[in-house]
Amino acid sequence: MGLLVLLSLVLITVSFRSTALDGAQGTAAAVLRPFEVAADRISRPFRDAAGWTRGLIDAKQDSKRLRAENARLRRQVILEESAVQENVQLRNQLHYHGPPRAADFDQVHAVVLTKPLNAIDQSVTIGAGSSDGLRLGSVVVSPTGGLVGTVDRLFSHVAHVTLLTDNQSAVTAMDLTNPTAVGIIQPGGGGSDVLVLDLVSKAKYVAEGDTIVTAGSIGTDKLPSMFPRGIQIGSVTSESSNDVNPFKNIQVKPVVDFSSLQSVIVLVPNK
Amino acid sequence: MDGIKAALVLFVASLFQLAVLSEYRQFRSASIVLVALLSIALLRGSVFGAIAGFGTGLLLDTATLGTLGVTALLLTVAGFWIGRYGETTARDRFHAPYLSVAVVTVLYAFGLVALQFVLGQPAPAGLVARTLPLALLINLLLTLPVYALIRRLFPPLELGDRVREVRLLG
Repeated sequence: MGLLVLLSLVLITVSFRSTALDGAQGTAAAVLRPFEVAADRISRPFRDAAGWTRGLIDAKQDSKRLRAENARLRRQVILEESAVQENVQLRNQLHYHGPPRAADFDQVHAVVLTKPLNAIDQSVTIGAGSSDGLRLGSVVVSPTGGLVGTVDRLFSHVAHVTLLTDNQSAVTAMDLTNPTAVGIIQPGGGGSDVLVLDLVSKAKYVAEGDTIVTAGSIGTDKLPSMFPRGIQIGSVTSESSNDVNPFKNIQVKPVVDFSSLQSVIVLVPNK
Repeated sequence: MDGIKAALVLFVASLFQLAVLSEYRQFRSASIVLVALLSIALLRGSVFGAIAGFGTGLLLDTATLGTLGVTALLLTVAGFWIGRYGETTARDRFHAPYLSVAVVTVLYAFGLVALQFVLGQPAPAGLVARTLPLALLINLLLTLPVYALIRRLFPPLELGDRVREVRLLG
């Protein structure tokens, strides 16, 4: 027992303070990967059945709501397509070089191998690594384009991704409707997926329902943001201010359901 | 033979934890691995429990690419302690697996918080305390089938096979 405890403490120390064990851990994780994928495939039909049953209950009310939303979005798409075309033309005419956007990166699709095992853990492992072009700090998004997090530990064929809901995450973000309302997106705490858009001045106008996206690099900072501009983070669910806090209290509901991530897209620099 | 059986059981439990339970937020704090390990430790003793706990913890740390040794340390201590309890006062007591799972679920959760704190990582004790009742309930519910299955795989040892330093008096 004493020997095993000592060995555990040595492992913690070495693993925490250096990268000496990373190679062995990466190899072992890669060995475990087929078993994890097999277990996932075996359990998926049962999970799908549960999801299907749950979906049936909500389907009727969802259908009505989605029809109305679909009609509204069709009108919005037509307006936005013309705006995008105009934007491209103007950029070309002005030779404008803005901050990098998600479209400027190559995409690496990866399966989510493991999810958080306890309430404290806010990370996932994915089945792509340095051999696929990933780098430390690579931005990870969901297949629908919502921000998931960043790669914080990298191995040859697997990587560890810290989620946006981790206490140590912080992303510069802005209100898409009012781009001057820029702040920092941080987890709201309490174990929920609610995020907080902090450091937004009271003078800025932010409304419920507004879309929050990554702000990317603002100005000509020597340390540019690792997040490309315009990745969707979520929508504002509540906004308030008081006399004590110099900034607005803005709560944001993330667009990504972090508990049901099956696959992700990692943005890597163009080859 | 018991070693191979324990390795297989704990490997399957770990895969189940990683592939199924971790999919659902409400089940995330529950741990079938912990329940299986404690059941094995109760039936096979402290040294067996400690070794099984260390191996299982290392497996989970590796699979989740977490800090190596954190889960291993907690599960080693849990396996040893409950194994010791199984060798001594818990013998043939009906409530032993439930009591073990309940106590270790609480200690494991706060042990993890303490380790995270020592390592300088976020250690939200309030969050853990809030998720603990549900984890406790699910772990206790899991104990019934898991312990029954593991008791079939690991039949209780005869009196002579148990540790020698423990002597029954009277």
